[in-house]
Amino acid sequence: MGTTQRFLNPSVLAGIAHLELVAKTVVDGFISGLHRSPDFGFSQEFAEYRMYSPGDDLRHVDWNVYARTDRCYLKRYLGETNTHVTVLLDASASMAFASHPTSKIDYARYLAASLEYLTHQQRDAGGLVVFDDEIRDFVRPSSRQGQLQRILHAIEKAEPHARTDFAKPFLHLQQFLSRRGLVVVISDFYDEPARVVNTMLPLRYRGNEVILFHVLDPEELRPKLKAPALFVDMETEDAMEVSPDYAQREYRDKIDAHIKGLRTEAEKAGIDYFMVETSRPLDEALREYLMVRQGRM
Amino acid sequence: MGFFAPWFLAGIVAAGLPLWIHLLRQHKNTPRPFASLMFFERRTQSSIKHRRLKHYLLLALRLAMILLLALLFANPFIRRAPVPGSGKKLVFIAVDHSFSMRYGDHLERAKREALAVVPPNELAQAAAISDRVELLTQPVRDRAALEAAIRSIAPGDATSSYAEFARFLRALPKNSGLPVEAHFFSDLQKSAMPASFADLAVAPQVTLQLHAINENTPSNFAVQSVTAPARIFGNRKARIQATLANFSAEQSSAAPATTSRSCTLLINGKPADSKTVNIAANGRAEVEFNDIEMPYGANRGEVRIDGADPLKEDNRYFFSIERADPAKVLYIHDSRQSPAYFRAALDAGAESAFEMDALTPDQAVNTNLSRYAYVVLSGQTSGALETNLQKYVNGGGGLLIVLGPASTAVGRVPVTGARILEGRYSTREGDRYQSAAAVDSTHPALDRAAAFDGVKFFYAAKVEPAQDRVLAKLSDGTPLLVEHHMGEGRVLTLTSGFDNVTNDLPLHALFVPFVERLSRYLEGGETGQSNLRVGGAIELRKSKERGAAADVVGPDGQRALSLKEAASALTLPATQEGFYDVRTASGRRELIAVNADRRESDLTPIPAETIALWRGTGATNAAQPVNGEQPEPVPESLWKYVLVALLAVAAVESWLADRFTPAAREEPKPEVRRQAA
Repeated sequence: MGTTQRFLNPSVLAGIAHLELVAKTVVDGFISGLHRSPDFGFSQEFAEYRMYSPGDDLRHVDWNVYARTDRCYLKRYLGETNTHVTVLLDASASMAFASHPTSKIDYARYLAASLEYLTHQQRDAGGLVVFDDEIRDFVRPSSRQGQLQRILHAIEKAEPHARTDFAKPFLHLQQFLSRRGLVVVISDFYDEPARVVNTMLPLRYRGNEVILFHVLDPEELRPKLKAPALFVDMETEDAMEVSPDYAQREYRDKIDAHIKGLRTEAEKAGIDYFMVETSRPLDEALREYLMVRQGRM
Repeated sequence: MGFFAPWFLAGIVAAGLPLWIHLLRQHKNTPRPFASLMFFERRTQSSIKHRRLKHYLLLALRLAMILLLALLFANPFIRRAPVPGSGKKLVFIAVDHSFSMRYGDHLERAKREALAVVPPNELAQAAAISDRVELLTQPVRDRAALEAAIRSIAPGDATSSYAEFARFLRALPKNSGLPVEAHFFSDLQKSAMPASFADLAVAPQVTLQLHAINENTPSNFAVQSVTAPARIFGNRKARIQATLANFSAEQSSAAPATTSRSCTLLINGKPADSKTVNIAANGRAEVEFNDIEMPYGANRGEVRIDGADPLKEDNRYFFSIERADPAKVLYIHDSRQSPAYFRAALDAGAESAFEMDALTPDQAVNTNLSRYAYVVLSGQTSGALETNLQKYVNGGGGLLIVLGPASTAVGRVPVTGARILEGRYSTREGDRYQSAAAVDSTHPALDRAAAFDGVKFFYAAKVEPAQDRVLAKLSDGTPLLVEHHMGEGRVLTLTSGFDNVTNDLPLHALFVPFVERLSRYLEGGETGQSNLRVGGAIELRKSKERGAAADVVGPDGQRALSLKEAASALTLPATQEGFYDVRTASGRRELIAVNADRRESDLTPIPAETIALWRGTGATNAAQPVNGEQPEPVPESLWKYVLVALLAVAAVESWLADRFTPAAREEPKPEVRRQAA
């Protein structure tokens, strides 16, 4: 256990070159930490029984129930097939920020890879969208053989670039995500909370379950400045002189308000929101997420 | 307020450096990438103002440091009236101990009078003056030490230089930071005055008191000069001329009184001849001693005026004469080069100082070259002889290389290895002949007589001189005579020949003195240091390349060189009258006679009005108020206060800078890690 936990430290994971190995290390270690609970996961689940009505497919009749009760009941599931899990990975320039060995994009990569690996383990169909101000890469959700490798390759290729703009890529995404499923968005969400959530709402209305992973560096949350410094925006390249006083007070208030706003807006829209710091062990984020999901089931 | 060295204030320009660091560099903040500036606002931060304010304090301290440093070097002073009776002055007691102070009891009188002015409990310093200022004590209040120092002053043989003394007095107030009361005890002879009276001026903070130690009518006989050959050869006899002088202060319109004096010539301490001469007051008389026999070796000669004289030390004049057999010269030549002209020139020399051996290269290989005063190599050579010649020259020997037309084919000068570019023949159609154009007449080997006037050169090898000194050139620029130094020795290369074919030099009258000059130079006898004045330099070695030790035994019979000086000193100053027995680094032994400058014998004092003028260049009793008048303010240096202020500012700056700058250095720098594509 100790060894496994050590490997879940982001800075240790950063030393592992092979992304699949990273994902395997995270997920396997994390599963062993859960004592292999049978209840986890988001695969096809039993929902309810419904009375048979003419025209229904006889393949879904539960014949055991019929033998016991002489009544025809149809067994209903949450999904007709395996769930589609699509990870949306933000690869904008701001994701390159790092105050320690693991940058936000690295952390996001590990997270995405771990989720995809978990999906693959569940025999669900995994998909990937890499975006910044437009869609840079798209791997259609599928459970075919070799899908995990394709996704991991796409994740590996994702380099921070350009600015974040949720509207444009999500509009395109609606065309591709024809089937309902699970959409996981991993980003630093440097935009207005209402605007971010509004962008996700069409997906939500189409029956998708949307989960937001807000990835932030500790330095972004609590910047430590002892002297005025000239900050340069990594996306816009604007420069601004920042004083330690401002960074310690007003900035922290603003970033906290931003997180709170994002969380509130997401809750209102029925979207799950998780804030993860890149200094935290990766399995903590996953564990928290799954616990929440398990509670919802 | 003023500055002793105001030009150091130019250092204030350096104040621009901290200004640049603080005001210009401050805005060159190293940009730090940050994920997003979404939550930052563009406005002036109060903390930045605060921090800049702190930096302004640091800037002010740094500027103050530079200003204080410049101020420190400029040495500011304020003029402050001396507190009467405070005794804040330096009493400088200087006693002249030049050669002229040997007159009668002048030096003893000067010392007695100097002892009388030693202050009981005041800061004072003692010095002995001749051609330089010799400090005997530090500024002290110890009367006993000062008196002991003054009593220890011994008569010297150097000349006196009042200009040097005045120069020292100009610097003394600055160095001591105190007004100076200078007492100078001297015979104040006119001959020690500088050419310009301005050189006598002392600083305004110096009160100069001149104590004349002289007679009203000084009279002095002196041997002013002696002319004697430095060397004689063979059986020749010496001819010695002496000039006797009668210095007298008597100015009479009547016919000058004539004094009869007996003059004796001593060789190695024994009287060799004696003559009586009549010398008029302020007049000169010549004495000539002819056919003086000299023993072999170095001889100590002395011309002495007999009879009592208050300044008896200048009644004698030392000179040295060396008698030796004619030096041997080796002429190495092949069958094409005849030594006849050269031999004839040597034999015709006035002193017949040289005898020539002529050998072929084959014969010369097994010859001991060290027996020869110098060697002439006519033509080319190689192999063992060339190696022997190189060793000979490195050891201090002289070599004359005469390049004939055959040398051009070899392409290099033997021994020195200089390149021969080509042989220049004057053609019948062209220039017909070359003449010597540029002759370095200052060189000892070439005097004015040997300017090669009218000599026609028909051939010369064009030698690349490289680092060598070209003593003479032909009209087309071809080097004619080139000097090359090797170790302790020297090599002269004549690019033409000593025959009557390549030039017509042997047919000219100047050939004989030319050969004589060359011979003296190559032999090493041209140094002219057999007779020197006190203060002159005795040459011990020509270069520091070799560590062969030199040795000097002074007139007092003591070795004059320390071990270090013996191994490395190029010269030794002659400080005493008498004979210096010198063995130079090249092994040559010389007996050098050293005499005091005879200007010291003229005791005519400085006119009273000149003395008054000199005294007037300094302050007039600045520290001693007269009749209740306010004393003139004297400058008081502030450098100590400036130094303390500078140290204080430096300490505060250091503390402040330590508080500011490390914090900036320790700031965490967010790293932007971009993965390689």
